[in-house]
Amino acid sequence: MEPATLLPLGVSFDAFASLGFWLGVGVIAGTFTIFALGLQLNVGFTGIFNFGQAGFMAIGAYSMAILVTEEGVNFWLSLPIAIAITMVFGLIVGLPSLRLRTDYLAIATLAASEAIRLTTLNARELTNGSQGIFGFDTEFDDLSESIESLLISVGWSDPETLFPLFMIVWIVALLLTFGLWRLQKTPWGRVLRALREDEDAARALGKNAFAYKLQSLVMASALGAIAGFFLALNLKFVVPDEFLPNFTFIGFAILILGGLANYWGVAVGAIIFQTIFEGLRFLELPITEVQVSALRYILLGLVLIGLMAFRPQGLFGKREEMVLGE
Amino acid sequence: MEAGSAAPASDRTAGERIYEFLGRLTDLPFAIRAGAGLVLMTVILALVESGLPGGIETVALIAIVIAGIAALTLTEGRPALVAGVVVIVLFGILLTYHGLLAVSQTGITGLSNGAIYALGAVGLTLVYGILKLVNFAHGDLLTFGAYMALVASVFWGLPLVVGIVFAMAMTALVGIALEKVMWAPMRRRGAGVLQFVLMSIGLAFVIRYAIQYVYGTELRTLGVDNTSTIDFLGVRIGQTQGIVLLVGLLILVGTGLMLRFSILGKRMRALSDDLELAETSGIDTSRVILWTWVLAGSFAGLAGVFAGATTQLQPELGFEFLLPIFAAVVLGGIGDAFGALAGGLLLGVVVEWSTLLVASGYKSAIGFIVLIIVLIIRPQGIFGRARSI
Amino acid sequence: MSSAAALAHGSGASSIAPIFQAEGVVKKFGGINAVNEATMQVADGSITALIGPNGAGKTTFFNVITGFYRADGGTATFEGRRVLGRPPYLIARMGMVRTFQITKALARMSVLDNMLLAAPHQPGESLSGVLLRPGASRRREREVASKAEELLEVFNLTKLTDQYAGTLSGGQRKLLELSRALMAEPRFLLLDEPMAGINPTLGRRLLDHMQRLRSEDGVTFLFIEHDMEVVMNHSDRVVVMAQGTVIADGEPHEIRSDQKVIDAYLGGGSPDDGAESSSAATPRSHGEGGRVTERPR
Repeated sequence: MEPATLLPLGVSFDAFASLGFWLGVGVIAGTFTIFALGLQLNVGFTGIFNFGQAGFMAIGAYSMAILVTEEGVNFWLSLPIAIAITMVFGLIVGLPSLRLRTDYLAIATLAASEAIRLTTLNARELTNGSQGIFGFDTEFDDLSESIESLLISVGWSDPETLFPLFMIVWIVALLLTFGLWRLQKTPWGRVLRALREDEDAARALGKNAFAYKLQSLVMASALGAIAGFFLALNLKFVVPDEFLPNFTFIGFAILILGGLANYWGVAVGAIIFQTIFEGLRFLELPITEVQVSALRYILLGLVLIGLMAFRPQGLFGKREEMVLGE
Repeated sequence: MEAGSAAPASDRTAGERIYEFLGRLTDLPFAIRAGAGLVLMTVILALVESGLPGGIETVALIAIVIAGIAALTLTEGRPALVAGVVVIVLFGILLTYHGLLAVSQTGITGLSNGAIYALGAVGLTLVYGILKLVNFAHGDLLTFGAYMALVASVFWGLPLVVGIVFAMAMTALVGIALEKVMWAPMRRRGAGVLQFVLMSIGLAFVIRYAIQYVYGTELRTLGVDNTSTIDFLGVRIGQTQGIVLLVGLLILVGTGLMLRFSILGKRMRALSDDLELAETSGIDTSRVILWTWVLAGSFAGLAGVFAGATTQLQPELGFEFLLPIFAAVVLGGIGDAFGALAGGLLLGVVVEWSTLLVASGYKSAIGFIVLIIVLIIRPQGIFGRARSI
Repeated sequence: MSSAAALAHGSGASSIAPIFQAEGVVKKFGGINAVNEATMQVADGSITALIGPNGAGKTTFFNVITGFYRADGGTATFEGRRVLGRPPYLIARMGMVRTFQITKALARMSVLDNMLLAAPHQPGESLSGVLLRPGASRRREREVASKAEELLEVFNLTKLTDQYAGTLSGGQRKLLELSRALMAEPRFLLLDEPMAGINPTLGRRLLDHMQRLRSEDGVTFLFIEHDMEVVMNHSDRVVVMAQGTVIADGEPHEIRSDQKVIDAYLGGGSPDDGAESSSAATPRSHGEGGRVTERPR
């Protein structure tokens, strides 16, 4: 990879990494933003504990990959179909489980997510098991290359290959954030917030609590699917290990960091968290790679514990959002 | 699926109508619902087996299902009996396909795994019931126990029994320390459910990856004899498996009896019903909570050692047990030690039987599906009273 | 004796078509019938009080007829339409709106949002409405907002409009919950101890407003109340529950001399003695809500 100093951007990251690396972090942060927007919709605004978001992401990514490689569907067409499939799964998970008490709902959605992951691992005829699926992204690569040539034509002599993906993921992430933020300001969003406060009060005022919770979960599953597309495009393959519950819990750390009930905080939380999470790779420590990766997850754990203990409203959340509710 | 209240009072959307219709199905008489459930289970099994067993076995299968439905009609209001009947019918159906030997062999393995689930579940259920803490780090306490046994008996060369006691003591200590440092202060601040849950998830990461940091990801064994078997009526029982099952059962039944009849058990139930009320009525709650953690920690440690002894040690060991343990807790009813025992054994057997039907890689997935089904049908568990769900 | 009561509707509620009827309603908790064959009716346009010693099953009865508990028997109709078996949100949309004994202020929402939420017929509450009819949604929002402001004015809550509801005092929450219920455009309003925790001046204002709603908009009221002063002076019909069943039903002056009612309050004196006695002295045989742990549906 080219050293960052050769780039005409005038920003120098060469002290510890190339621009390419940080674009990679940016893509991951953007993916997590979309992923955690779904959690924000569920946890922050509706009060339902969705611990199965990684499972929805898996359904989205695998549906897209299978549709393209096995069924020969055009990549762009596969995306809406995959979103629809994921939303059907969201419906299937939500219909029985959304009547449960919050802690049971958390366990049930986590179990559903793990059942999905284990199925992707074992249904080899369909998913190729732990080998994963490759080669679904030629159409995207074409787009990526035309963006690159466009960049060259406007004067960036040697654009990073990751830049188009970085650009697209953040455009999508910001559009989705904006859309959800607007939606939250509508009467529909007000009903969601009422459910988070007190479901019985909302029902006594004629609101069909269950239907709204179902809509919230199904929408979150669609966001999970979109995050799954970007994860797959970034890795260029899908494997079951990418959809461990760890992914969901990183999403929760980002959610809390950015502040509950705050859509714009999600992107900020994702950037901060991923910068630290990935930046840890550059610490010059006399330890093995396994230990570095362990250290990153210990950090994740400490962030969660620390936030819950000392700043449950996150960095940017309103204090009232945590204090008044309990 | 629009939920608009814009519609006039009488109008419901199509989605709402369908959902209400489904809801009304629960008003059907118990016998019809239970019978339909049993038939559905049988049909799914037959589909997975791709067809009926053929010949006299088909006749037997149909007889078993009919007898099962007849038995279920007598069990209304007794969920534990319902569960028993379902398991017996399942046993009977599998018998017609696979014969007694295969079903008993997997059944025994399942009981042994179930004892490990149950050991983990007792601690989780007590903490859940008394402190209302849904401890997602409980699985990683199992891992911690297993590695403590590894340290004592493999690294230091002490006898395994000493290693086990060491592991139980250390895990109990960790449980107490975490109570003092984390859970008690958070309770005093009146933290909410989400705060506790996310904190326990954070703790789970810290424990699991601290273990990975120190001991790496390589698979390790406790050096236990996993090859010797005992023949019992043609069923081969692994020696270690047998010991796990026996010791596990002894300890769990002993603890269950102790909790039912001792003062400590009574106090635990009082705390479980209403912690603040127990406090004002003069019970030394912090002492009871301490003992709760001693039980939860040491049993988690033991479960971890057993899990490590029958398989191999790696940092994810306990996390893989977490959801089955949750399933056992929910199945048995939260806060009920005997329930956790029954739930653990039941789950162990059903999960192991599933290997007769589908690839063993799906084993855990089957466990999760059982968990989800129980949460849907009877979230208060087979022994639980009707609580708020 | 009864001053405001028994006025226009004084000739006995039974001669007027009932807006609400319940017959043989049963609710069991474990082996105990918390509501035991309760039968009653509420006349259209009346202000009916529901009284009874603690544990009589009044709140449980409310929960059953508003769909929060599943009934174990009996029937109930509102404006001739079946009520039992419907989910709470449909019952509310029919025009039968309730408040709760323990207030349910939506703490992390502003007072104004609490009010706006309750208004029915808001197209913007469905996703299709948000996307396809944003104009209609905004129009409805403006309509509703002016109504909300009027109601907040009535109950002295105007200066709190933009505060989080969670910061309100107990009495203010009670008033907010009541005005929120009024936003839902009820034709039949069920109030569970509306006066508890409210200062007398505001309480008086609340009662006046009830009278006005009844005469101007034809709203019917059923309210649970312990203060006999309020019951006797401000209701035109009184229904008495004890042991889960309805033991008496009549005009206030009939009730106060009814031997069965006096017996039901035995140990606590006659109903005239008011709130203190009725809430303190009755043995807790049924544990209304107390031991019952089933969550409302």
